[in-house]
Amino acid sequence: MNEFHLTEDQQDCLQELINVAMGQASDQLARYLDTFVYLKVPSIESVAAKDLLQTLSQQQNTMAVVSQGFFGYEGIRGEALLAYQEEDSGRIADLLGYEPDELSEDEQLIDISSILTTTFLNVFAGQIDNQMSYNAPKLLPSVQNSLSEHLQQMTFNWDLALKVNINYQVTDFSFNCNMILLIPETAIINIKNVLDRILAEF
Amino acid sequence: MFDFNALLSPAYSESSALIEPVLKQINNQISYQLNTGVLVLDADFNVVIWNRFMQVHTSKKEEDVIGQSIFNAFLELPERWLTRKFASVLQLNTPTFCSWEQRHHLFELPHTRPITTDSEFMAQNCTFLPIEVDSQQKYICILIEDVTDVCHYQGQLQKTLDELATMSRIDGLTQIYNRRHWQESLKQEYAKARRHDKKLSLIMLDLDYFKLLNDNYGHQCGDMVLTEVSALVGTLLRIEDIFGRYGGEEFAIVLPETNLAGAIELADRICREIAKASLTYNTEAINVTASLGVAQLSSTETNYEELITHADSALYQAKAQGRNQVCSAVYAQTSTLD
Repeated sequence: MNEFHLTEDQQDCLQELINVAMGQASDQLARYLDTFVYLKVPSIESVAAKDLLQTLSQQQNTMAVVSQGFFGYEGIRGEALLAYQEEDSGRIADLLGYEPDELSEDEQLIDISSILTTTFLNVFAGQIDNQMSYNAPKLLPSVQNSLSEHLQQMTFNWDLALKVNINYQVTDFSFNCNMILLIPETAIINIKNVLDRILAEF
Repeated sequence: MFDFNALLSPAYSESSALIEPVLKQINNQISYQLNTGVLVLDADFNVVIWNRFMQVHTSKKEEDVIGQSIFNAFLELPERWLTRKFASVLQLNTPTFCSWEQRHHLFELPHTRPITTDSEFMAQNCTFLPIEVDSQQKYICILIEDVTDVCHYQGQLQKTLDELATMSRIDGLTQIYNRRHWQESLKQEYAKARRHDKKLSLIMLDLDYFKLLNDNYGHQCGDMVLTEVSALVGTLLRIEDIFGRYGGEEFAIVLPETNLAGAIELADRICREIAKASLTYNTEAINVTASLGVAQLSSTETNYEELITHADSALYQAKAQGRNQVCSAVYAQTSTLD
């Protein structure tokens, strides 16, 4: 237990904010994709810094990770990682309404990641009266080695990782990926303040 | 017309001591001098703003761009895909990106290093930002950054890495595989042959009286012979055979999916071709012969090194029997071979 640890109330409140954000994001997404999008309630767990790599490497066939930095007011910033498994990459072009020959599979992964990350975080930021800007998303190829290298070379030391499992089902096929939000300590304190403010309003 | 004030947050003008027209002028000058391309599109994808960077780099006339659909002004753009991307910006109110690493460039613009780089067009990172003036008026701002330098240096780095990778596999003199890489390949072929129960044979080749050649004609002559023999043997092999320099004048060939008879046949041919090769050094004819030992993987070996040992003893036998010939390893269980 340290100062970055969320209390049970804070954790519940965050789960609720993420549920709402994910719900609204998938609603927007459904309209954009012009198809029915069914979203399971995302499962959220916080992962200690030292356990993240292990958590990720347990997912056997993680094929690709796309990283995208985000930053808002009041020092709320972090990096979103979207981890895909091999079987989920095949039909992204279908999902996005692209013709497969228009773009490479890498670009499809980057496009879907950017849409998922920014749509979700925009709604999330709106709920806490903030506004996000984003870096260009980047694909980290050949996952195992590059991910640990990437985590070491990040522009900030992150202290908390929120792992959000996203499962979209789009009409006749389902699409899974894990969103991992890496958050530095200053941002955690700010998020905790925001959560306390929301909790106090109830 | 829409102006660049809209690009900056209105919060700035409230907190700033500058009066509106001055602020507007500063913003316009920044966008004018910015070393990044700026295009603003309305919701129908017509260009409403471009900055000096775009004017200078496209060499297009204002009337051919402003008020025109971006797809008419820039015919090189992939319309279907980009339309979908623009739709995501407008509908989801989120930014989207396009990186040179996936797509070298969107706009065909010249760049500032045409001599020192090999790409014709400017490598670009493009950002598409949603701009909402009010709920009725939505715009898309496109930022185009010149990343030709980054792209160029990344290309050079990759080239150097590829060269290093090649150097670590190739023998400098003969340009065939070096011992380390050859042995690594044998190890893999051994594992494959065991796993899939496939045949595998090995030829060890040693040039006869090579020391004498070096002593009589000098090491440069020896080097010439090594290079010529390597090239000659290379022409006799199949694409899947793995040919390496094992030591000084010793060579080794891994023959996947080949039985002893096939390996002996090849070794005989190599032996004959080397003996009849007409090599010359300083106008003097040089005659070279080789001794070869052949072995096939049987059920008895427990590692790839044993296969080398068997081929080596066959080579030793060929030397002992008078050189310029092929010998094959003798097995206790000849019945395992076919």
